[in-house]
Amino acid sequence: MTGPVRAALGIWRARTSRTSRDGAYAVYLALMVALVTVIPGVRAAWLGLTSPEGIAAITAAGAPDAAIAVVAALWAGALLLGRDRGPAVRPPFLTHALATSGLAGAESFRGPVLRAGALVTVLTTATAGLLGAALVGARLAGPLDAAVFLAVGAVVGAVTTVAWLAGQALPRAAVAIAVGVCGLGAATAAAPALRPFTPMGWVGLAYPVAGDPPAVAALTALAALSAALVCAIPTLLNRLRLRELLAQSARWDSATVHAGGMDFSAAVAVYQRRPRLGRRLRAVRGLGRPALVFLVRDAIGAARTPGRLLLGVLAVAGAGAVLALAFTPAAAGWALGAAAGTTLFAGLGPLSDGLRHAASVAAGLPLYGIGDGPLLARHLLFPTVVALLALLTAVLVTSSAAGIPALGPLVGALALGPLALLARVNAALKGPMPPALLAPVPTPVGDLGAAVRMAWAVDGLLLVALSGAAAALVLESPLLLLGAALALLGIGASRWRQRG
Amino acid sequence: MIEVDGVTVTAGGTTLLPAVTLTVPRGAVLAIRGRNGSGKSTLLGVLAGSRTPTRGTVRIDGADVSPRDRGFRRRVAAMIGLPPMAPDLTVSDHVLLVATTWLDDPREAAELARTVIAELHLTGLGQRFPHELSSGQTQLFGLALVLARPFDVLLLDEPEQRLDPEHVESVIQVLRARRDAGATVIAATHSPALADRLADRTLWLDAAA
Repeated sequence: MTGPVRAALGIWRARTSRTSRDGAYAVYLALMVALVTVIPGVRAAWLGLTSPEGIAAITAAGAPDAAIAVVAALWAGALLLGRDRGPAVRPPFLTHALATSGLAGAESFRGPVLRAGALVTVLTTATAGLLGAALVGARLAGPLDAAVFLAVGAVVGAVTTVAWLAGQALPRAAVAIAVGVCGLGAATAAAPALRPFTPMGWVGLAYPVAGDPPAVAALTALAALSAALVCAIPTLLNRLRLRELLAQSARWDSATVHAGGMDFSAAVAVYQRRPRLGRRLRAVRGLGRPALVFLVRDAIGAARTPGRLLLGVLAVAGAGAVLALAFTPAAAGWALGAAAGTTLFAGLGPLSDGLRHAASVAAGLPLYGIGDGPLLARHLLFPTVVALLALLTAVLVTSSAAGIPALGPLVGALALGPLALLARVNAALKGPMPPALLAPVPTPVGDLGAAVRMAWAVDGLLLVALSGAAAALVLESPLLLLGAALALLGIGASRWRQRG
Repeated sequence: MIEVDGVTVTAGGTTLLPAVTLTVPRGAVLAIRGRNGSGKSTLLGVLAGSRTPTRGTVRIDGADVSPRDRGFRRRVAAMIGLPPMAPDLTVSDHVLLVATTWLDDPREAAELARTVIAELHLTGLGQRFPHELSSGQTQLFGLALVLARPFDVLLLDEPEQRLDPEHVESVIQVLRARRDAGATVIAATHSPALADRLADRTLWLDAAA
């Protein structure tokens, strides 16, 4: 770090009113969060990996191919993520001050990139380490194999960091590069002969497999690639454009403020893609039937952000597939059902722009010539039609492919679809946090106020996960589904009465 | 006719709107003026039904204020702050959608939408999305959404906000046309031009206080 950058950061840090006690509290908070969430998560992952099913999965013939696909998806995802939130992000004022000074981007923004890179590398190394340790523990790989794979994890982290930064520095090219990376990953996974020639193939070659010699050559190739890419970091940093830096900084600042206030919908909305395409398409047509007018309006509105719409439909279809798999006899049905519920809820987001608009109209002065209820009902048509089509198709295809009787998954999907839509309506009608929730909740085990506020913030996600779990168990215990439905209906009715 | 009788709004011991009594005949224009915090927006909120008065009564064409009542919604159009703007619709789409929900004949709705967009000089911006509009253009778009419908009473809170003098003049022309067509217009404003050139009467809320 050069003198001017150090001096600027010194002034910036001196402005904050944080005391050493605040710093100590932040460390305490981080330790507690790690204790409560990270350590149980790591333990659960370890237990899963070392279970007979886990060992069978990581030693399956297709495991190296899966590793190739995961790494390709990780690099492509990092490229795409960088377009919206890259690693070179500082607070808005500091970003403006540094980016409009005569200092090079390579100096001004190296710090946040190194910190982000360290975090990513720790995560990828830990993942590779867990996998290798599980295989060594089961005597299915040697310690040297695991050590090589651990190093591969670290190198993958470094490449991921550069891909992330490249997405930020080259936002237009990032999409094409990401598509290329995905294509190369798919080709490498499909054709083992390609493995010696592609970076993700080297990861597949280094995957610890019993009996194979340690893939030192693959690690060396990956390390060389990583070193070359890391050398490009200063060039990429110097390519960062002021407008993009300021926009990313402002968005991140806004999102963290919303998330800090537990308004996660607003935090997500900050990163919602804005339409730029399809402006010449007429979204409103005189179709006679008002319901049709709104169906077409919502469809064209959603198609104006095609990538977002595609992701939404894929997520809904993915939820259908997971829900169908929840009905396989050996599966942990409730867990898969909960995953299907949350995935469905997320997938409905891009389909529900009209719903959110209807909810904000209902909370204000009359804008349309129809009542709030009919307006909401008409905006429900598009997400209902698309979600049910995608969900039921995925359920039928997956049931047929996996040899599962289709009745259970179909009943589950027909119940879960409307409940997830209801959860979306509830989320749209959700107002600001009630002040009463800010009060402490003293109990013998401490203040539960934060837990109550967190439950309020993610109530939709929790209830839809519960609904998904209940939908997966619908044939055994339909009452659970009824309970989830009543809870969602009750919350919806209460928010509807209190709107505006 | 709008009849306001002894309307007061208080909250937590603070008077947000001192007692107001007034009558506005049909087809008249009333400008509400006063300093920031004098209660202009609060009075408009009471008239629109988004705010309940602590004391007093309001009747519009002999009926109580009830924003969920179909007849009231049909009679009273209001813009107190910007209306919700659908992020996935262009300016033309959204104005037409509003008109379509108020008028049964699609051709009539399209004609009304076109007229309002032209009156507010938004024709060249018809294919823009809300996030692509400047602050003043957003204000004009908000006005277009509220005007793309039939109404008997129009309530506006500072319609001149963020507009240059030329566009304030356009807004005056548009509101005058609505007044000439028989609508009652009540506008809270800080613009002397808008009050002097449009209003039949001015209510000074500082004086009322």
